[in-house]
Amino acid sequence: MSEELQEALNLAGDAVTRDADGTVRLIGSACVDCDEKVFPPTDVCPECMSENMSRLKLSAEGNLYSWSVIHAAPKGWSLPFVAAYVDLPEDIRVFAHIVDANPDSLEMDMPVKAQIAILGCDETGAPFESYAFTPVQKGDS
Amino acid sequence: MRDVSIVGAGMVPFGKYPEKTLADIAWPAVKQAVVDAGIKKTDIEATYCGTALGGMMAGQRILKKLGITGLPIINIENACSSSSTAFREAWIAVAAGVYDAVLVIGVEKLTKFGGGTLPLEKEDWEVSHGLVMPALYAMRARRYMHEYGLTENDIADISVKARKHGVWNEDAQFRKEVTREEVLASRPVADPLKLFHCCPSGDGAAAVVICSAEKAKQYSAAPIKVIGSEINSGKYMTGYRDMTSPEITLRGAKQLYEEAGIGPEDVDLAEVHDAFAIAELLYYEALGFCAKGDAAKLLADGETSVGGKIPVNPSGGLLSKGHPIGSTGVAQIVEIVRQLRGQCGQRQVEGAKVGLTHCTGGGVSGFDHGVCSIHLFAR
Repeated sequence: MSEELQEALNLAGDAVTRDADGTVRLIGSACVDCDEKVFPPTDVCPECMSENMSRLKLSAEGNLYSWSVIHAAPKGWSLPFVAAYVDLPEDIRVFAHIVDANPDSLEMDMPVKAQIAILGCDETGAPFESYAFTPVQKGDS
Repeated sequence: MRDVSIVGAGMVPFGKYPEKTLADIAWPAVKQAVVDAGIKKTDIEATYCGTALGGMMAGQRILKKLGITGLPIINIENACSSSSTAFREAWIAVAAGVYDAVLVIGVEKLTKFGGGTLPLEKEDWEVSHGLVMPALYAMRARRYMHEYGLTENDIADISVKARKHGVWNEDAQFRKEVTREEVLASRPVADPLKLFHCCPSGDGAAAVVICSAEKAKQYSAAPIKVIGSEINSGKYMTGYRDMTSPEITLRGAKQLYEEAGIGPEDVDLAEVHDAFAIAELLYYEALGFCAKGDAAKLLADGETSVGGKIPVNPSGGLLSKGHPIGSTGVAQIVEIVRQLRGQCGQRQVEGAKVGLTHCTGGGVSGFDHGVCSIHLFAR
């Protein structure tokens, strides 16, 4: 991950990266001893308590399990926003915002892909930047 | 383990008391429970006080007002299950023979946060990314509606039923009926949930006195027996989980019914954790009051209204009675005590012999809920 990206992603820290072709991917952890997979990254396995964890680059695309258009949230978040659970093929469920989509166009289990987004800002105006997901457009690879 | 009974119950009307301290909100509920029990305050051997956000030493701050001091006072935090957890711990202590008579308090003052969604722990990953409790329930609602073909009307009707019951409860925060149309026209909070699908923020307190069954005879001709007590944490899951099926409640209910030797068909009424309207439907199924997918029909048939087969939340529930979170567990128990004693007037469930309380607490990534505590009571 580039230093600039790491610095900018103040919410996700080292839990997100970008491939050479620009594809945004979330980073989880895989247990070297029992193969348990978790997100966000962790230093101890919740299955076998091993501390032998490796960084796991997750699939860029997943499916929309459910979502909600949020109109009430603590200060700082850009309202309204779409909150969602996205299921990734590695059997990992991620809480994420859905961006760049008309909420009325969302469908259960539709494919979505990761991207970087600004989700709000703090009282000084500094942006909350993290991963988010957006519907896969027809024709996207 | 010894049998345990409730001999005294009290609560203050839930509402907004920003000008009062936590202790001033709570002491009238405690006094009411002690007077109701007819117990000398010097006979109370310990107190368990549940509060999620009430700050340090809430029990001591409350009890010094009434001079109930110089005894073990245990303060317990377990989110919205704080006081159901306190009740469970008190029950264990009395059942085990450590104490004969114990006070349990639930208290919260949410107006100190100035309104809005419940403040959650920011160290949590999902909270750090904008998760609020309404979002979690809204996503459950959308998935459940999708899988079982429910409409907005089905969800709204839970709020209509809750408000109808609340009209009859002088301790309820909301005492005015609403129509389905008013629910659907209220402002959006977390689509598909509107304001009237959500429990209000507020303040309140509730208290009960419990004794060994033997000691209870000294105080009450009709003590309410605790016939089952259960608590669990959720199972941490990083992967897919079925949000239409509250695993912690399913697991807890199964365990509780087995321990008590009764089934859901033996329960005459229940107070369940309807923090948001969708939750009550999920809990009908998880507690065994109907089959999976049949919750909306059970509601539409009137079976969960007072007068139905299994009235749920005759107090008005969290949606109407209110949800000062740490108070809720004990307040649910106060309602069951009053129902089993036949003291509930227009909302009385006629002939009620067995009552159930169900209280959850959430807001941690990877759990269906962080905690759930279920109790069974009988007269």
